[in-house]
Amino acid sequence: MKKKKIIKLVLGVAIIGTLIGGGSAAYMFYRPHRDVQAAKTDYSLTNSEIVKEYLKDRQAADSKYLAADGDSKILEVTGTVNKISENYNDQKVILLKEDGDHAGVSATFTAETNHKVSYLEVGQMVTVKGVIRSGAAFDEDLGFYENVILEKSDLVAQK
Amino acid sequence: MKKIILSTISLALLMTFSAYGQGKLKSSKSHIKFYSHTVAEDIEANNYSSVSTIDTESGEVVFSVPMQGFEFEKSTMQKHFNQENFLDTKNHPKGKLVGRITNVDEIDFSKDGVYQANVEGKLSIKGESRSISEKGSITVKNGNIGVESKFNVTLADYGISFVKGKPSTNVAGEVEVTVIADYLAE
Repeated sequence: MKKKKIIKLVLGVAIIGTLIGGGSAAYMFYRPHRDVQAAKTDYSLTNSEIVKEYLKDRQAADSKYLAADGDSKILEVTGTVNKISENYNDQKVILLKEDGDHAGVSATFTAETNHKVSYLEVGQMVTVKGVIRSGAAFDEDLGFYENVILEKSDLVAQK
Repeated sequence: MKKIILSTISLALLMTFSAYGQGKLKSSKSHIKFYSHTVAEDIEANNYSSVSTIDTESGEVVFSVPMQGFEFEKSTMQKHFNQENFLDTKNHPKGKLVGRITNVDEIDFSKDGVYQANVEGKLSIKGESRSISEKGSITVKNGNIGVESKFNVTLADYGISFVKGKPSTNVAGEVEVTVIADYLAE
């Protein structure tokens, strides 16, 4: 009797262990990318504010906005549309930049949110929500200021 | 001052060009892909957010790549890529190529054609800089200027190597990088 019970127990633990192991492996393998638009916004600010923050102290800004695993902070940025273009992935890209600022915020949209950009015009003030990929800085090699880069963007109600 | 551009040839790009074609050209439209092949797994990542310049007179070429912009199909892989023990993108958010087209005199940016570009310069990844010497092609058509190149990068050269675990079997020691970019007059 005892032997049977022990065998059952060991088997049970082994099965549960395999399910957990297999389950977590499957989770790792198939884990979906973070849904940026569904996630909570970390910071709401203007394009001028984040550019200023970066140009003042780049390291401090990177420390604040970038994440070690790449799932960096989700920002809602308000600014004036300066330029509308498209990248090689057929995604719309808008540049939010104020006259007189050294740099702006470049936001790349997605296949799902692209159509929102067709309603936009240069000169319009909008709020964009997206994940930050890199910050603003003067690049000596390029010879100009680089913009803050946001990706996975969508338009949100203006703040 | 001369800078260098790189690598072997792959795709062709075209761009519109308002001025005569001299001086500094800027690209905000590019596609950088890297591909790793091992018996265990093929990995590919794409980045569409790089910025680049070419000086048609000096031959100077610069690429600035936001490392967190590389997108992988698998989220877990993307997280590993960004982590401290791999590309450490939080501390090294930009990859850089600074080089020069050594045969820039052979390239007529105002005349339609496909030109081979020999590039020499420095590739900087994760804080490590290495000299590179590669080939690319420059296509001029109807005032558009496009660049393409394909070259290999040995990860260990930049302090990226794996001794054990999944990365050692699933990530190739040498990764194939493909670059395409379109340029506009500044």
